[in-house]
Amino acid sequence: MLIETFYRQIGSEIVTNKSFKFSMPVYKLHYFNNPRRGRAELSRLIFSQAGVQFEDVRFSHSEWPNIKPTTPFSQVPILEVDGQVLAQSNAIARYLARKYGLAGKDEWEQAQTDMYIENIHDLLNAAAVPFMEKDPAKQKELYQKFMTDTIASHVVAVEKQLKKNNTGYLVGKQLTAADLAYYAFFSDFIEVKFGGAFLKDAPLLKSLIDRVKALPNIKKWTEFRDSKYPEEN
Amino acid sequence: MVHYKLIYFNLRGRGELARLILHHQEVAFEDFRFEREEWTKYKTGTPFGQVPVLEVDGKPLAQSNAIARYLARQHGLAGQNEWEQSQADMYVDCIYDLISGTRPIIHESDKEKQKEILQKFLKETVNPHLEKLEQQLIKNGTGFLVGKSITWADLAYYSFFSPMTERFGDSVMDNSPHLKKLVEHVANIPQIKKYVETRPKTTL
Repeated sequence: MLIETFYRQIGSEIVTNKSFKFSMPVYKLHYFNNPRRGRAELSRLIFSQAGVQFEDVRFSHSEWPNIKPTTPFSQVPILEVDGQVLAQSNAIARYLARKYGLAGKDEWEQAQTDMYIENIHDLLNAAAVPFMEKDPAKQKELYQKFMTDTIASHVVAVEKQLKKNNTGYLVGKQLTAADLAYYAFFSDFIEVKFGGAFLKDAPLLKSLIDRVKALPNIKKWTEFRDSKYPEEN
Repeated sequence: MVHYKLIYFNLRGRGELARLILHHQEVAFEDFRFEREEWTKYKTGTPFGQVPVLEVDGKPLAQSNAIARYLARQHGLAGQNEWEQSQADMYVDCIYDLISGTRPIIHESDKEKQKEILQKFLKETVNPHLEKLEQQLIKNGTGFLVGKSITWADLAYYSFFSPMTERFGDSVMDNSPHLKKLVEHVANIPQIKKYVETRPKTTL
């Protein structure tokens, strides 16, 4: 091909081809506006920490029947990346973490990061049981059991891992989405709902949560969202 | 050569996907299995009181999907690029949710109640998922869930739906011809077939 034709081709590609991009992808994260933050928050924290712009689409439960059939698996969150759709909260978080340097420095650290994110997924699933309980007395009982059975033993285990890693972070020597996931669950949900007593024998976990909370980009995000979405608190 | 030791119950359950990945890619590993009664012996040695655990040259990794994903990535079954990898992740996460949905059924001792919960699970969870899945398979158009070739996502669907049909009959995939074809395809892969023929026979 002549050089001239080559450059003309490239030029017209840039002008006409929407997928030929130099710029950041367009991200749209879709989730309910209630219950509190839930399964979309980790991705929002990743976006915020990485300083990546995204459209934080929130819809009400009354709008859900219309939105549901448009999703790949009738569930949210979903992430639109330049119009292509990814479902499953962890797949979304993992994709963003890897893309924006929050997934560990090598394959092994990425696997460790995944492991911690999946721990939180299990804890969220376990919390969903009392969360969904309509009878207030039964709910109180279930939450109590959840704290003493599930949370207590997990806190002991993760404190041990933090001690073993000995860097202040869950994985390797720097912040990963794993730390953000633990912050989101333990600080945003557990601590808010049950108070900080469960952390009394977990100084390393407490220290990690406080460290994440104080990160400039995280602080900026939480202050913004707490004022914009007070109903979540 | 890195040494893999996969530690799990002598069950398929949440350990089977990792085994299938390793067998499919013909990677040697120590398939360490123990019976339920021995669980307390091994529990305290795990990072979070759970199995499966994968030891890679002695270093432990927990969480069934983190393990399977690590192996899939290390051994070329994770998808051809970042986007395909995330799509494969998405599908495996769907299977994780379905496996979690079977737990109340498995743990129900009353036979009548078990049947009831199972029917509810099939009707409200599995069938709607399969409807959407068929659409995705048709849309991808290659016979595989992601891209043009097999990924661990296809093995994950085989790993869940093959025992489902074993237990509840072929009708499970009656309305999912594309998934049925995919599951059959995986079942007939020589390395998978050989492993399935020789693995310990377990109820779950």
